[in-house]
Amino acid sequence: MLSLDGIWVHYGTVAAVKGISIEVGENEIVTLIGANGAGKTTTLRAISGLHRPSSGEIRFQGERIDRLTPEEITARGIAMAPEGRRVFPQMTVMENLEMGAYLRQDGARVKRDFEEIFHHFPILRERRKQMAGTLSGGQQQMLAMGRALMSGPKLLLLDEPSLGLSPIMTQEIAKIVRELHQLGRTIVLVEQNARMALRLAKHAYVMETGNIALHGLAEDLRHDPKIQQTYLGA
Amino acid sequence: MLIQTIANSVVAGSVYAIIAVGLAMAFGVMKMANFAHGEFFMAGAYVVYVFYALLGWPFPAAVLMAVPIVGAMGIATERLIFRPTRDNVMAGFMATAGLAFILQVLVGQTWGVGLMRSVPTPYMGAMDIFGAKIGWQRVLVLPSAVLMLSALWFFLYRVKAGKALRACAQDPEMARLQGIRINRMTMLAMAISGASAGLAGALMAPIHPVTPYMGHGVILTAFIIVVMGGMESIAGAVLAAFLLGIVHTFVTTLSDAVTAQMVGVACMALVLIVRPQGLLGRVKA
Repeated sequence: MLSLDGIWVHYGTVAAVKGISIEVGENEIVTLIGANGAGKTTTLRAISGLHRPSSGEIRFQGERIDRLTPEEITARGIAMAPEGRRVFPQMTVMENLEMGAYLRQDGARVKRDFEEIFHHFPILRERRKQMAGTLSGGQQQMLAMGRALMSGPKLLLLDEPSLGLSPIMTQEIAKIVRELHQLGRTIVLVEQNARMALRLAKHAYVMETGNIALHGLAEDLRHDPKIQQTYLGA
Repeated sequence: MLIQTIANSVVAGSVYAIIAVGLAMAFGVMKMANFAHGEFFMAGAYVVYVFYALLGWPFPAAVLMAVPIVGAMGIATERLIFRPTRDNVMAGFMATAGLAFILQVLVGQTWGVGLMRSVPTPYMGAMDIFGAKIGWQRVLVLPSAVLMLSALWFFLYRVKAGKALRACAQDPEMARLQGIRINRMTMLAMAISGASAGLAGALMAPIHPVTPYMGHGVILTAFIIVVMGGMESIAGAVLAAFLLGIVHTFVTTLSDAVTAQMVGVACMALVLIVRPQGLLGRVKA
């Protein structure tokens, strides 16, 4: 469904991502794990069009998307819940979700999606008239995910959904990611919480200083002694 | 005397509000200040001068002409100045300051510099409110401001495109990720900004000296208001506009206009000391 082939991303003269290749299959959860500054967020930002790769190709459903604008990429069916949530703080929960559905014309299905999101995140229904900036971190994370889902995406990019959340809230988010996957969503999950990510994903890529250090089945990586020592704190 | 001054304050506040809201809105979406905003006000007044005083159109029709004409100037400014200089605040500043001079000279060359252009007052007579006399031309300003501000509020909070505009002002990158085309939104913001400044100028044409340089005083006041209100806050701009309207009018009545301008700047300084983010501004996370 999505493939990155030899992607380089530079900030000025500094390379943040150094020629990585990633494959994401239909209905899969693929995770990118690694330390801070390994290039995970940059990779997601390149997929969604917020950074233009300096070389390499990104294909989505067989078509090149690495020269498109973020607006065009969203229209193709890729949505992102970004690092730091980035909800629109001075808009209500409802308005944030409406913005997620900005490009959609099919009113009836949008309505059904509102219901689906309120089913996954009941707290958002309760808070729908509240300003997004006044929500707690966990609620903002749910709103960011809900907003991304409102575009009816084929591919969902989640950047550090557990960052700064309590263990209980982290579990809640993990549960929802699993539910979304069971409903047939394709998800790319970037996480520092490798334990959670490796449980959720089928395939995993380990990033180190802009490179893919290791990749394979999440199940195998979970039992890899090196991974256990470095990322799982065993 | 007191009632007279209060009534004058409300009228002044209305005009300030129409002008400042446009400036705050453009700043909110682009994070760049339009130093030619005062010249948009001047252009609105000249539209009325040309269509009403020279061509003999009815006054309301001439005022309505100012909206699309100056709105189009806003769009042109976005397309030719703000878009090429995006991410370069200094270049945008220099270019719009330059545009201000170009517009002044252009208008001066076409319609003359010396004496002010005379625009006859379309509505003679005055309204009597508890003994205070306010010319009908001034009375007209208040409902126009209310109408314009309500229309803007409705657009920003009830219409999808207006909500998208607010989203762009709050987080442009995230707005793009929702599929909102940011170039269209900055264009829209500048169209509204120009149209509102043009409307204010058009309404004031019969009671304000119409000269190529009439934008000077306006831009200073508008910036004081926008800074006081909280840069991007439209509600803040409206609040600050009425506060400054009261301050200016009272000080002008008791002393003179120059002192009023000084007191206005002092008010801004005070707000910045006590509440640096402005009256209704928010602190950036």
